[in-house]
Amino acid sequence: MIPSAMASSTETALESLHHIKSTEPPEWLVPKQELSQAVRAASKLLFSSLKPYCPKSPFDQLLTEGFDVEQIWQQIDLQSQPLLSSLRREVKKFEKHPEEISKLKDGGVGGGEKKKKVLEQIETDNVVNDDEDDDDMDMDEDDDDEEEEDEEGEEEEKERGTEEESENEGEEKGGIEDKFLKIKELQEYLEEDEAREFGLKKKKTKAESKKEEEDTEEEGDDDDEEDENEGSEDDDDEAEEEEDELGLFDGNDEEDEDDLENARYEDFFSRKKNKSSKEKAKSRDMLEEDSGSDDEQDVDKRKDGPSKHEKELDKLRSKIEEMEKANLDPKVWTMRGEVTAAQRQKNSALEVDLDFEHNVRPAPVITEEVTASLEDLIKTRISEGLFDDVQKARTSSSKAPREIKELDESKSKKALAEVYEEEFVQKTDPASALLTFSDELKKEASMLFKKLCLKLDALSHFHFTPKPVVEDMSIQTNVPALAMEEIAPMAVSDAAMLAPEEVFSGKGDIKEEAELTKAERKRRRANKKRKFKAEAAKRMGKKA
Amino acid sequence: MSTEAAATMEIETVPSESKPESNPLPPKPKFEPLKAHEMSDGRVQFRKVSVPPHRYSPLKKYWMDIYTPVYEQMKIDIRMNLKARKVELKTRQDTPDISNLQKCADFVQAFMLGFDVPDAIALLRLDELYVESFEIKDVKTLRGEHLSRAIGRLSGKGGKTKFAIENSTKTRTVIADTKIHILGSFANIKIARDSLCSLILGSPAGKVYSKLRQVSARLAERF
Repeated sequence: MIPSAMASSTETALESLHHIKSTEPPEWLVPKQELSQAVRAASKLLFSSLKPYCPKSPFDQLLTEGFDVEQIWQQIDLQSQPLLSSLRREVKKFEKHPEEISKLKDGGVGGGEKKKKVLEQIETDNVVNDDEDDDDMDMDEDDDDEEEEDEEGEEEEKERGTEEESENEGEEKGGIEDKFLKIKELQEYLEEDEAREFGLKKKKTKAESKKEEEDTEEEGDDDDEEDENEGSEDDDDEAEEEEDELGLFDGNDEEDEDDLENARYEDFFSRKKNKSSKEKAKSRDMLEEDSGSDDEQDVDKRKDGPSKHEKELDKLRSKIEEMEKANLDPKVWTMRGEVTAAQRQKNSALEVDLDFEHNVRPAPVITEEVTASLEDLIKTRISEGLFDDVQKARTSSSKAPREIKELDESKSKKALAEVYEEEFVQKTDPASALLTFSDELKKEASMLFKKLCLKLDALSHFHFTPKPVVEDMSIQTNVPALAMEEIAPMAVSDAAMLAPEEVFSGKGDIKEEAELTKAERKRRRANKKRKFKAEAAKRMGKKA
Repeated sequence: MSTEAAATMEIETVPSESKPESNPLPPKPKFEPLKAHEMSDGRVQFRKVSVPPHRYSPLKKYWMDIYTPVYEQMKIDIRMNLKARKVELKTRQDTPDISNLQKCADFVQAFMLGFDVPDAIALLRLDELYVESFEIKDVKTLRGEHLSRAIGRLSGKGGKTKFAIENSTKTRTVIADTKIHILGSFANIKIARDSLCSLILGSPAGKVYSKLRQVSARLAERF
């Protein structure tokens, strides 16, 4: 576009801006053509002026001809979103390092002016956005929002202005300060500390904490606060939050101002009641409160001044009274001896640790070691094959097993006469008796088995396995081993065939004469005498 | 019989040492035992056994098996009176023993009752065999279906219960409708009768079998 044309368009746009600003709010209620035109022009100007600050936006100009409200709004939004975030970042940075603002400022008054301009633009952006909403006919709420955001913006400006001023002052002092030491911060800290001790700052923090609780954040950062105040979204929720914040903020401002002005002796000393009500604040504040209250109670006692001795005497007296009282009262049921359930309170035995004699061995506590030991035992038993199986006690059958006679259910082939004949023959001459049925079966079975064995032996080429060794009785003579083995004894060997215990015929522990104790000697003599006497008696008996 | 004769002989020949005789009496006469023929004053002894109609044709069939041992070995005359439907037995002159006639009569009677000839012949060969008969109604009054069922229980399936009893007790039984006949020695008859009675009274066959087993084992052990 031609710069002159641009200049003229900017002028018209500025004019339209002013026009918008000057219109009364009720006029916005009815959609008017000229107002909308003015608004469009103003937005265009703002857009183009903001363009250099956001490199990423795809539009060079705000396109308004023939575009819908929504479309225009989207374009603005596209541009403003990244802009807002970058601005927020910048402000945060300035918060942490205020000297950089001064740098900016040093860079040129234009820097500060730029910032102011930026702020203005933000403000107007808010206004514009609200206008857009009006066009969409969300009227009442947005009016309120718009007003409050306007106020907000103004206040922000004020704040920023004050902060900037203060920071400027700080900067001007110069010299002593560097990154670590800032006298301004030091002063602030001192003030804070003093106020904390005397309960002023608490009010403010309490209000902040309230706000923070409403925002569902436990820690209040001044940064967050300011961010939210800055935030210029059009969501109704956030608008409400901002309302709240605004209200609180206003209140806080008022309260703080009042306290600072009307600080009294009562605020610093003897504030027990107020302090107790304000213990709902943060934990660190509570601790400080306690220390503060203790200090003040000590201060009070110092006024009364009972001596240590008197105090001790009081204590003793109280103790004595207690003990006398306990003695007079009826004893506790645990001290009373045999007490049945009716004589004590319900469930009172549960609270007392009673001592019983348990006749039952307590169940073994199963620990890892116990289980490990058990498992080891099991493993060894299994590996050895040493099971405690119940062995069946075999009854030694002395009698031969009886032949069980089977009931023959078919018609007997033998006539009755033949049956009796056989019976008679068996009685008189068992040798010539014919084989019974069972015997015949046995014979048949043995024949079959013999045939089978023959075939099996043929399989192994008639190479029989040796018979199992049957231990027989054999007589061992007590002859030297060598004599048994050889015919011509080369030498006589000591090794007798019999073992020494087989040679020895005697009982018990044989002791030598020298080894016997006195008692054993006496016993031996007594035995001898007894035997002799018995023999003598027998001889006498025989003779008689 | 011969034992009796021996006994009498023995009694006669025992001298009495202690009695002194005043008058020398004549020596006592020695008598031979009477022959069957001479008994009843030399007249012939008869036995008549009536033949029931259902045994008529079996009699005809087995006539020779009956006739041979009776005539040859027992030496008893035997004939069939067709008109009177009776079997007649009579002693011969060379009949050795009077009891032969009775035995033959019993033998024929047993056949008429329903026993087989080889079984009945045991009567001829052994002395101590008897035939006992009784009716079901003697044991328990049964009517109609119960009676039929009792008879069925007695015989068993394919006659196996009957044979079981016969084999274990060494008897022979004949179950003719409501009449029961048992042939065997006295003790065996008793056992068989007990089993049959228990069957009539309603005990199951298995129970009877177990009892039979015990009894037969006991019988076998005795010898």
